[in-house]
Amino acid sequence: MENRKSNTADRELFLSRTLNAPIALVWEVWTQPEHIANWWGPNGFTNTITTMDVKAGGEWNLVMHGPDGTDYDNKSIFREIIPYKKIVYEHTSYPHIIATIEFEARGEQTFLTWHMLFDSAATFMEVVKTHGADKGQQENVEKLNAYLAQLKAGKP
Amino acid sequence: MKARRDVYQAIADPTRRAIINMIAAKPQNVNSIAEHFNVTRQAISLHVKILTDCGLIVIRQQGRDRFCEAQLNRLSEVAAWVDQYRQHWESKLDAMETYLEKLKKERYGKQKK
Repeated sequence: MENRKSNTADRELFLSRTLNAPIALVWEVWTQPEHIANWWGPNGFTNTITTMDVKAGGEWNLVMHGPDGTDYDNKSIFREIIPYKKIVYEHTSYPHIIATIEFEARGEQTFLTWHMLFDSAATFMEVVKTHGADKGQQENVEKLNAYLAQLKAGKP
Repeated sequence: MKARRDVYQAIADPTRRAIINMIAAKPQNVNSIAEHFNVTRQAISLHVKILTDCGLIVIRQQGRDRFCEAQLNRLSEVAAWVDQYRQHWESKLDAMETYLEKLKKERYGKQKK
């Protein structure tokens, strides 16, 4: 009955991407705060990185500033750093995540994998649901706005 | 106080996921479901009740027997939201790609042309 493939399948997210840049540049962009602030996102967000001590046990504190002025604190601790190979960090703010990013040179390109492990399937579902609910809500507000604009336009 | 029940709570538990898998193939009654697990029939009954409350199971009465039938359409809601959440992380990689292109242009762009 046990799922032998992976007993974490119900509480993990796995992404991979071949980036069109040499590994040295990808590593730099991942590990230097002035770079990471430029892509961490999400869209419409800006980021302030107060601490980024890229070594095992080092702290990483990132504040995401939402478009509506809300700040989101993201505190993490780096657990393992192998230059040009691997970064493991533990996201200690909610939700608790162990993230593993691996880098592999492929000529002038870099193959990057990003694995995120949540504490439990229940936590993962909670996060997915909250995220979905937020998105849904956002879309609802957008729909409402569009609808109101339409109503206004339609009126004499 | 009534516990909040939804599809996420339903599938957060491994036994409940196994129950859904099992009855997805063929509707079964609680007793035959319970035979597949090393837990009490009461425990299985409770799981079935939660799954029913969450809308993932409907019970159909057939004579004296009550069959549990899976309602898999509810699961697509979860899949859609997991997808959205994944997209949230994929978009970081998109942004990283764009930023790498910009950096490459700044640093090496002039040499190439």
